[in-house]
Amino acid sequence: MSALTFTLRAQPPHGMDLSPLIPDRLANHTKAAVETIALGSRGLRVADLFTVSGDDAQQMTIRNSSVRLTHIGSGMTQGTITVEGDCGAYVGLGMHGGRIVVTGNAGPFAGSGMTSGGIEIRGDSGDFLGGALPGNKQGMRGGIIVVRGNTGDRAADRMRRGLILVGGDAGAYCGSRMLAGTVLVSGRVGIMPGFALKRGTLLLARQPPELPATFQDSGEHALLFLTLLDRELKRESERFGRFLPLRNRVRRYCGDLATGGTGEILVLA
Amino acid sequence: MIINGVAIDDTFAEAFGMRATRVLITALDIKWAYHAARAATGFATSVIGCGCEAGIERELSADETPDGRPGVSVLLFAMSGKELAKQVERRVGQCVLTTPTSAVFSGIEGEPINLGKNLRFFGDGYQNSKMIGGRRYWRIPVMDGEFLCEETTGMVRAVGGGNFLVLARGPAEAMAACEEAIAAMTKVPGAIMPFPGGVVRSGSKVGSIYKALSASTNDAFCPTLRGAVKSALAPDVGAVLEIVIDGLTEADVRNAMHAGINAACRIGSAGGVLRISAGNYGGKLGKFHFRLHDIVK
Repeated sequence: MSALTFTLRAQPPHGMDLSPLIPDRLANHTKAAVETIALGSRGLRVADLFTVSGDDAQQMTIRNSSVRLTHIGSGMTQGTITVEGDCGAYVGLGMHGGRIVVTGNAGPFAGSGMTSGGIEIRGDSGDFLGGALPGNKQGMRGGIIVVRGNTGDRAADRMRRGLILVGGDAGAYCGSRMLAGTVLVSGRVGIMPGFALKRGTLLLARQPPELPATFQDSGEHALLFLTLLDRELKRESERFGRFLPLRNRVRRYCGDLATGGTGEILVLA
Repeated sequence: MIINGVAIDDTFAEAFGMRATRVLITALDIKWAYHAARAATGFATSVIGCGCEAGIERELSADETPDGRPGVSVLLFAMSGKELAKQVERRVGQCVLTTPTSAVFSGIEGEPINLGKNLRFFGDGYQNSKMIGGRRYWRIPVMDGEFLCEETTGMVRAVGGGNFLVLARGPAEAMAACEEAIAAMTKVPGAIMPFPGGVVRSGSKVGSIYKALSASTNDAFCPTLRGAVKSALAPDVGAVLEIVIDGLTEADVRNAMHAGINAACRIGSAGGVLRISAGNYGGKLGKFHFRLHDIVK
């Protein structure tokens, strides 16, 4: 068996919701059946946009991907989707399992509402990485997102659970309104990190030039849970190697005191 | 059957089904891990009066523990899951949480029972949880930093009450044999000997002349009652000591008994060890029977 591959023939004329193309729904489909699956609300079918090859729906590949392809892997629970190139918004939206790898950049709201599984973005990601959709009370609710490059503003907005690892820089308001979970940023963060953070951990490799006034210095500490996290990441050092070793000695800033103060920004010492 | 001059009775030890868990206690150094473990397993010799039976299984090196610090593996046994959960929570809360630099983790897979789930409320709202590798941990702020504990530990079906009796010429000879036996048995994984030093001198029988007591002294094995009761002791036996074993599996109990009896027999009759026997209730109460002749074969 070879990976079920969708090769985009030309840039779609508008944003195209690819949420029907997930391993859960394509298992046991013939190539002909896959080609007739409707995409979007304008009468387009898979065969109108993609050349389909291969037959293993557990190992899907989207080639020549475009920022106009949205909702890739939305709601998936199993299998792997590899996106060769960039993709649009909502990659991994509400996914419950499986793995998505984007070799290029991803649009906004990647991993929003996901509860399990993993997303790896080898380029940059847009705003609201793992963040809540407008009107939603929670963003990411489990799983792991790795961004090798930079991420936009409002990463982890209203995040409830899970782990986000950013290899590059994060934009403004990183960890805004976080409810729980852990975000690690290896590079710099923009203004107002942890704004209205309720619980959860914003773990920064570099001391930000300025923190919100509603975060207070709790001193330098060795926190054991970081040792556990380090050991867990080492189990998959191929994916997480760039974030290792994770030291457990940090300076702790508790906050956001405007919203209870039970969360924290930790800066690696 | 006679080994090195020691008679092995043709009898069996009778053991019961129990519920058990294993927890891993770590600390900044092994000394403080032992402080926590000894406190948590203190007053846990018998379910009759202590609620559970507990003991230290073995020492753990830094690379065997979840947090990379030295630690100690502890086994706890109780007659019901409810009682085990109560004892675990109480003992961890009073003895491990209180020990400087300590942390506690589940050491076994099984039906989940609370470990730190309710202890977190000690944090008075400042506690935080972290899900790492599919397991939930609680970070409870304490005066030396944070107490880290896993939310639950696993409960498994286990075997409690395996035993054997060492009959010797006198107390000194019986003690020496039991110390050798315990030294060998502590190397067996999955088993503990819950009594002080692993040895009990007050073996019991079921029932008493006093209505309030469910168990009383095992008069048949009390050397000072020879002549007054139907004694099980020959005239040359001056002391009897018992070793009780709880194990995670039947095989763990069997292996520990094998190691212990053989160690006692190595001292032999020349060292004052005269006979090995075992305690049972006629086979009617316990589900597990450990025949001494099968074990030492």
